[in-house]
Amino acid sequence: MAKLILTFNKQVIREYSFDKDGITIGRNEENTIVIDNLAVSGFHARIDKAGSEYILTDLQSTNGTFVNDQKVNSHKLAHGDNVVIGKHVILFVATESDKIEGGDKDKKLPLDRTVVLDTVKQRELLAKQKVAPQASKVPEKIGVLSFVDGSGLGDIELGKKLTKLGKAETSEIKLTGILMPATAATISRRPSGYTLSFTGGMTKLKVNGTVVKDSVQLNDFDTIELGSYKFQFYQKDIKG
Amino acid sequence: MEVRASGISDVGLQREGNEDAFSIQSSLGLYIVADGMGGHLAGEVASRVAVEIIGKSFRRWLETEMPEDELFGYPDSSLSRIGNYVLSSVRIANRVIYEMATQYEQYSGMGTTVVILFVTPSLIIAANVGDSRIYMVREGRIERMSKDHTIVSEHVEMGVMTEEEAAKSPLRHILTRNLGSADHVDPEVFEIVPSGSDRFILCTDGLTDLANDDEILEIAQGGQDPELLCRDLVDLALQRGGHDNTTVVSVFLQDAARRPRRGIVTTAGGIVADAFVFIDRLRKKVGL
Repeated sequence: MAKLILTFNKQVIREYSFDKDGITIGRNEENTIVIDNLAVSGFHARIDKAGSEYILTDLQSTNGTFVNDQKVNSHKLAHGDNVVIGKHVILFVATESDKIEGGDKDKKLPLDRTVVLDTVKQRELLAKQKVAPQASKVPEKIGVLSFVDGSGLGDIELGKKLTKLGKAETSEIKLTGILMPATAATISRRPSGYTLSFTGGMTKLKVNGTVVKDSVQLNDFDTIELGSYKFQFYQKDIKG
Repeated sequence: MEVRASGISDVGLQREGNEDAFSIQSSLGLYIVADGMGGHLAGEVASRVAVEIIGKSFRRWLETEMPEDELFGYPDSSLSRIGNYVLSSVRIANRVIYEMATQYEQYSGMGTTVVILFVTPSLIIAANVGDSRIYMVREGRIERMSKDHTIVSEHVEMGVMTEEEAAKSPLRHILTRNLGSADHVDPEVFEIVPSGSDRFILCTDGLTDLANDDEILEIAQGGQDPELLCRDLVDLALQRGGHDNTTVVSVFLQDAARRPRRGIVTTAGGIVADAFVFIDRLRKKVGL
């Protein structure tokens, strides 16, 4: 069964399985795919299953229907096609059974081929239509170290991918103390989150009271001790 | 620090051409893997262009210590200077592939993923665009040092899909970013400090489609030969159908002169130096 993925600004809003012979797209609530946006006509476009093929037809909409960057009246959909309607993009995904049914294999993109969600062309079309895109992203977070030891360091944002803590001049967070090594610990921002690593030296590193000799992933409100320094880790939203 | 690396690219059992490319520049410590896409030979062209341009521009900037503000595009303040070299080299490769794809019909629609690893004794940089991956094996654990740019991985990040569902989803091959589809790209770049005997695996989805992280960890922990590790991982993909091109580059670190647990001499030296600083401060304080 083919799938239609409704996206807006790269974010997936909903997936639809193509489980009947025809579907309609538009602002009116009677459509299969309802897009509540002024750039979209009441009944904007339809897609019909014809044998193993899927045919997209523009229903003489005000702002038109685009496939990839071409304005279309009627179009035979291929796996990976981006159907642009107003500010929304509907990605057409064929499935295994469609592929077997499909006769002209050469013209179709095999399913396990990688395709790209086309956002640039979408943006260009938006510019043409003079519709301002809205931001709808998951808020990005940044880690903060909050010093609670009277060192006066206060709250320090972890704005670098790699933050070094220690005595060295090049440290992002400069600490003092007789036994403090040039670099006592590092905090790296990785795909999985913030990781605290002990680098070496005679200054003990503790997280929530437990000595850390290698690496540990940091969670919100972990308490970290490094020699006489004591601080808490937490993450906050980056102000947009 | 001793670094040993090896790479294998295999066309697989179902594809006619190999659209993957990789490069190992041991003298520099730079390792790149790319997975091209696009009809006819365009995918092959895109991955090779990416590997070539990233390798060359990065080397030139590193050797000439290029100031950050003279790089291609704005530097990222969250990165070190070398991290910005990696970032910028990916952006320049993206621009070239994008221009080729828009100006020449035979390259229309071409693109590529890329993963890059740069290794020095004090800093490791990992960068990626698309769904090729970098794994780090450290202290018996496996960790991804790359972030997939796919719809499903965004779903996982938002918490609406599990890793297991993502691995099976029909949407798993839909990228949200690659090199070549837009005139600007934001790669992921990560910086970490190396530790003793880290092992890194750079690979294309020909492997990760058919093997999960735990299986890769198990294979990566056995043996001491990076070439054998590549062979074993590629063989696993082939045994399981080899439906796509599969490329694996493995990089083994060995801390040859692993610091002998901070000799008493250096520590004592450090303390003496500290003592002088301390005395200095005292003097100022009491107005000597």
